[in-house]
Amino acid sequence: MSKKSNEILVAVAGQPNSGKSTIFNCLTGARQFVANYPGITVEKKTGIYYYKGDKVVLVDLPGTYSLTSYSLEERVARDFLLHENPALILDIVDASNLERNLYLTFQLLEMDIPLVIALNMKDVAQRRGLQIDTDKLSRQLGTAVVPTIANKGKGKEELRQAIWETYKNRNSNYIPFCINYGKTLEPILTSLKKQLSENQNLSKSYSTRWLAVKLLGNDSEAQKLV
Amino acid sequence: MTLDELEPGQECYVVKVNIGGVIGQRLLDMGFIPKTRIKVIRNAPLVDPVDLLIKGYHLSMRHSEAKGVEVTLL
Repeated sequence: MSKKSNEILVAVAGQPNSGKSTIFNCLTGARQFVANYPGITVEKKTGIYYYKGDKVVLVDLPGTYSLTSYSLEERVARDFLLHENPALILDIVDASNLERNLYLTFQLLEMDIPLVIALNMKDVAQRRGLQIDTDKLSRQLGTAVVPTIANKGKGKEELRQAIWETYKNRNSNYIPFCINYGKTLEPILTSLKKQLSENQNLSKSYSTRWLAVKLLGNDSEAQKLV
Repeated sequence: MTLDELEPGQECYVVKVNIGGVIGQRLLDMGFIPKTRIKVIRNAPLVDPVDLLIKGYHLSMRHSEAKGVEVTLL
């Protein structure tokens, strides 16, 4: 294996205030540095750490509520996921605000990139009387779910382990989660997906189902891709 | 009726979001979908913004934006 194949590019995504940067700092420690990408006013931070001999490169994306193309932050986050080929996404979910946060999680799952979920602020959720069945969540979404309390450094090693394992198993057991859009929309999506699959350039670079969903939503950036 | 007409303490269900564009999309992203329950908590001293409880979290918004949300009283 070449040296490059051991570099794991991980995109850190999540809604605003879910603790993305706290987890980012927690995982990368003192080695963290800040990088400005030209042409974009929204900053992406890059940091590295080593785990079991592999170099893990984390990119802290701007916080977004969803991944449409309405705001600059959303476009920055989405363009990175679409064009920079991250090996996996680390999705930071605020456990005390699970329902709203899962909305973004589903959009990320739809992009067909392996996902690891950090269920952050577990202590806050517990204080509010919420008990979350992480095993069940993990089974239903088909992803690793790691409870964390990032500001206290809890769950750090488990998260590193989960990222590493998801990366190692990326080709074997990854079954993308699929949202069923119901009787009205599914036939349209299927036929759209079929048409998109005929274009090899498109189907090589993007999830055709994801593109079909976005086109159906009249998404301007997705329209530019086709 | 629309969300801006509610008094603090009143609760409602979302019927429809009548604004489009960036704000409309953001509202949908944040959980303003039909049948979602909303409670009006309080108004700021000078009326705007209004503090709402939706899906277990607090959200502040302008009355002009709340006007775009069609609701039915609980």
